[in-house]
Amino acid sequence: MASSDATTIRLQSNDNHVMDVDKAVAERSLLIKNMLEDLGDAAASETIPIPNVSYRACTAQGHRMVRTPPWRPPATNEEESDTRKRTTEIEEWDQKFMQVDQEMLFEIILASNYLDIKPLLDVGCKTVANMIKGKSPEEIRKTFNITNDFTPEEEEQIRRENEWAEDR
Amino acid sequence: MSRAATVMMPPAPNREDIGATWEYLQAGISKIMINLQDGMDMVTYMGIYTAVHNFCTSQKAVGLSQAGSGAAHRGAHLLGEDLYKKLIDYLNDHLADLLEQSKAHAEEALLTFYIREWDRYTTAAKYIHHLFRYLNRHWVKREMDEGKKGTHDVYTLHLVQWRTQLFEKVSEKVMSAVLMLVEKQRNGETIEHGQIKQVVDSFVSLGLDEHDSSKSTLDVYRYHFERPFLEATSEFYAAESTQFVAENSVVEYMKKAESRLNEEEERVRMYLHQDIATPLKKACNKALIADHSTLLRDEFQILLDNNREDDMKRMYNLLNRIPDGLDPLRQKFETHVRNAGLAAVSKVASDAEKLEPKVYVDALLGVHTQYQGLVKRAFNDEPEFTRSLDNACREFVNRNEICKAGSNRSPELLAKYTDVLLRKSGSGVEESDLDAVLTQIMTVFKYIEDKDVFQKFYSRMLARRLVHSTSTSDDAETSMISKLKEACGFEYTNKLQRMFQDMQISKDLNQGFKEHSKQLSEKQPLDSTYSILGTSFWPLAPPNTTFNPPAEVQDDLNRFTRFYKNKHDGRKLTWLWQLCKGEVKTSYCKSQKTPYTFQVSVYQMAILLLFNDKDVHSYEDIASITQLTPDALDGALGILVKAKVLLQKPDSTKPGAGQTYHLNYDFKNKKIRINLNIGTKSEAKQEEVETNKTIEEDRKLVLQSAIVRIMKARKKMKHNVLVGETISQIKGRFVPKVGDIKKCIEILLDKEYLERLDDDELGYLA
Repeated sequence: MASSDATTIRLQSNDNHVMDVDKAVAERSLLIKNMLEDLGDAAASETIPIPNVSYRACTAQGHRMVRTPPWRPPATNEEESDTRKRTTEIEEWDQKFMQVDQEMLFEIILASNYLDIKPLLDVGCKTVANMIKGKSPEEIRKTFNITNDFTPEEEEQIRRENEWAEDR
Repeated sequence: MSRAATVMMPPAPNREDIGATWEYLQAGISKIMINLQDGMDMVTYMGIYTAVHNFCTSQKAVGLSQAGSGAAHRGAHLLGEDLYKKLIDYLNDHLADLLEQSKAHAEEALLTFYIREWDRYTTAAKYIHHLFRYLNRHWVKREMDEGKKGTHDVYTLHLVQWRTQLFEKVSEKVMSAVLMLVEKQRNGETIEHGQIKQVVDSFVSLGLDEHDSSKSTLDVYRYHFERPFLEATSEFYAAESTQFVAENSVVEYMKKAESRLNEEEERVRMYLHQDIATPLKKACNKALIADHSTLLRDEFQILLDNNREDDMKRMYNLLNRIPDGLDPLRQKFETHVRNAGLAAVSKVASDAEKLEPKVYVDALLGVHTQYQGLVKRAFNDEPEFTRSLDNACREFVNRNEICKAGSNRSPELLAKYTDVLLRKSGSGVEESDLDAVLTQIMTVFKYIEDKDVFQKFYSRMLARRLVHSTSTSDDAETSMISKLKEACGFEYTNKLQRMFQDMQISKDLNQGFKEHSKQLSEKQPLDSTYSILGTSFWPLAPPNTTFNPPAEVQDDLNRFTRFYKNKHDGRKLTWLWQLCKGEVKTSYCKSQKTPYTFQVSVYQMAILLLFNDKDVHSYEDIASITQLTPDALDGALGILVKAKVLLQKPDSTKPGAGQTYHLNYDFKNKKIRINLNIGTKSEAKQEEVETNKTIEEDRKLVLQSAIVRIMKARKKMKHNVLVGETISQIKGRFVPKVGDIKKCIEILLDKEYLERLDDDELGYLA
């Protein structure tokens, strides 16, 4: 285990930005946590390259994690993660944090997936889910800037198959 | 083993190039598998993790998966599967390689190899598990959620592969190496048992639950380790013990077995899994004890005979470990104790008639104490052994050579010994020890079956002690009574307690009478004390002779009778002359300045007082004045003549008609107080016979009252049930014979307490 004297560790994003992060914060990422455990103390003083994450996402995450209110411990126990999964409600603070442009949002989601930060990943996905909720396919396409690559026949078939789910 | 060739990491691959990615991953895994001791740098770690991530998230699965065409939509999943399969392939290769290498080793070297590779492998597995976390989180999780068996998280996968690819092929060899090592140790060599411990741990880790990877089972360990281990153990000890027994004594063998058993227990603590403790113990117990139990038990008699306490303790501890191991010991023990008891009794029984109660009771107690001590020290004070001891004691206390004549001898002798103890100057037992001795008496008493016989004798003797005030101390008497009460209940000691109370009441009564007499201001010729004894509590019979008390006594008696009747109207007083005694002072002896005082019975007093008037009396005169029957008169006279207080003429041995009695003026004695009130031997004998006679009668009454009590409660009862119930009620007092009970039922039927109903039933008539 990395000893407690190394309280900050240095991360390097894929665009070669280097930043110092509180070790406790960095360990919210299971990837980093496991690695520090596996490689031991020696590794903690090295700069950790994070090839898949940009500086932008990194800092955003760093901020979020730093500013996570201390009375909300990382959700590890089953029960909490369960309820969190079922509801699409997002806490106010999280909501604010996720008020970023779409590109940033997806970057955060990808990064949290990569870094294995489950709470953040969940919030990110929920935000996206909320963006989809109650929208027609056309609206969704518009929101996420997706070009419709279905032929009208294909689209008709899908609609028929999913008729049961229509909200009438 | 040199594997110095450092695996060079290829450069981090392009995320689109799956083939290159796998190349990179494989190199990384190899590095972890083989060269982890060289350390691992952050860049590689992150690189591998990223490669796994990229592999799984890659959209274009080209270059690796040929099956891409039909399953384009499930891309990510397929890629996960590819990676998973590739990992399996890699592990299989690695393990096949290890298997090949293992063939170069044997025995201890193989152990070393196995342990080293196992350590390396599991450490690597932990790393790879972390590095493949992305795969675990997504593809593996999905597969498992879908309930696909045979898919495990990466760490478990490692263990599974180890088990199937390597372990199942080498485990036997590894195990035989382990067993050889253990055998070496059993033969006294020093071994490095840390290795075995590691093997055990490895076997345990491989116990994976097929259905739930989060749980582990001990199945693999049990099958591959525990089973052969136990077999080898049984085999080893079977051979060793057989040989040892053939060459050494049983006692030596027990020592050996004991130390072997301890060794095995230590072995479990040192380096085996706790799970084996019980079966290993069982196997050892079987090989070392159960298989030789007959031999051990045969030795038990010899140990008992020679009183080898330590060895018996050892045997107890050994046989206690196997089921039903001790039962034969208990039987032998019981028989032995019984025989020892019988032998002890017959040693003292050479002259049954003159047997001292103390000698007899001491003989019984001696055996009991000896074997109780043995039970305590060698048999762990086990209740079962205590029961065997009790059974044996009950046998030899109630049925031995002394009791052959009559089963009442044991309680009788015990009661007599108690009397000796409680009587003044009887035993020489210090008062401080008395209570301890009385407790010992109670030990024997517990075993006595005919408790009613004891009660009878005890109450007679208590009566005598009280009437003659010869008790050592009231405290000792009370203590004894309360002990009996504790053992047999209130009813048993009720009469004894009442006797005690009567004496107390009499004391107060005499006080009152003395004060009353003073007020009368008459001249008191007698200084008298009276005891008023309740007829139903005291085992005393009215005198069997007529008696005309001397006038002096009669006057005082009348006064007391008036005094008493005044207090308690309507009570009938019967004077038990045979128990009365007094002192007379002589004034006629010339030779002595201080007058002699004679302690005499009231009969003797009546005779002596006659000589106040005349120096010579004929036998007929004495008989007519005192009104004593010849028996009583002869006894009283006989002692007076023997002590030369009276001279019998003509000189003949026996008092009788035609003799004359002269007062001996030349009487001489060293003592000033002379006790002439000596009961003759024949009197004591007679009393004994009488007591025994009443026992049978009393038993009938006890039986009848028990039957009536039972029937009153139940109203109706089958004949045989009633008999059984009666036996169980009476058992505490004596062991009733079924024939006697039947007779009593007949008597009660005749007396119309009971009636015959249909179907062998009896009914209670109120």
